[in-house]
Amino acid sequence: MKCFQVALSVVLLAVNASGTAATIEMTVNGLVCAFCAQGIEKKLKKFAATAEVVVNLEHRLVAVALKDGQDISDTDLRKALTDAGYTVKAIARTETPIADLRERLKQVQP
Amino acid sequence: MARFYVGLCITVAAAAPAYAKPIAFADGTTVMAEYGAGTMQEFQVFYAPRFYYSVGGGQVDFTSDVDGRTEHITYARLNWLAHRWNLEAAQANVFVWGGLGSATGNAFTGTRVTSNAGLQADYETRRVYASFKSDLQRSSDFSDRIDTLQLGLAPYAHDYGGLASWLVFQTRHYTGELHSGIETAALLRLFKGGAWVEAGITNAGKLQAMAMFNF
Repeated sequence: MKCFQVALSVVLLAVNASGTAATIEMTVNGLVCAFCAQGIEKKLKKFAATAEVVVNLEHRLVAVALKDGQDISDTDLRKALTDAGYTVKAIARTETPIADLRERLKQVQP
Repeated sequence: MARFYVGLCITVAAAAPAYAKPIAFADGTTVMAEYGAGTMQEFQVFYAPRFYYSVGGGQVDFTSDVDGRTEHITYARLNWLAHRWNLEAAQANVFVWGGLGSATGNAFTGTRVTSNAGLQADYETRRVYASFKSDLQRSSDFSDRIDTLQLGLAPYAHDYGGLASWLVFQTRHYTGELHSGIETAALLRLFKGGAWVEAGITNAGKLQAMAMFNF
């Protein structure tokens, strides 16, 4: 019975994990140059859960695509961006795949 | 001649698809070389363990166009970000630095211990860039300070991954009788990814150029 409960817990955790956000979008202040973007990209790629990073200066946006079933806490993200020298104004978690986000950014480019 | 310089600049940018701050980003290395119209040449390498400081060193060579005096200074330096303002669509910084080195030259024999100190204040949006930098190298035999004011205008707002183009207007004042009067220059600055190049001509028709790589 105990084995069954443990197995059920593992299954439920896996299901829950697969339901985590696909992409984390952050609004960042001070994002004005390619070097800023380069430093942020380098920092965020150090997280094991990071699949891909997108930085868009026009929209002050930093997005992290997460690996399946993995996550990065808001606290860790804020610390990473602060340690990189920038100010995080907002963090939003979405199910939008990073490819769709890229496409959306292309469409709204001035 | 101006066409040649613009062509050279574009060629270098295309070959090595970058910004001039003494600290680029945390855990980043910056390599910079500058040719200052025959009066100064400088090469620097810095590593930034954190976003607010970097350590490294460089070599600067001065040639006075007043009396032909030369100085060759090798130095180690600490750069410190004293304050940063992260605004919605802009960033402003104040950097300070200091270091020690040794110099040789044709106006004295042997080597001299040198000290170095400086500051930079800058403000940048994606279309406008302004900075003031003052850099002092001194020993028992000389005191050379370069004050540089730059105003940059971008014809379009670049984004990460794209080529950034800037037209930069520079005025520079040398103390220590390195150069008489104020030197002005018009520069074309290009950067993409981690590479930055700029080149232009001074009011005396001399080449002013810089290249910087961050990785």
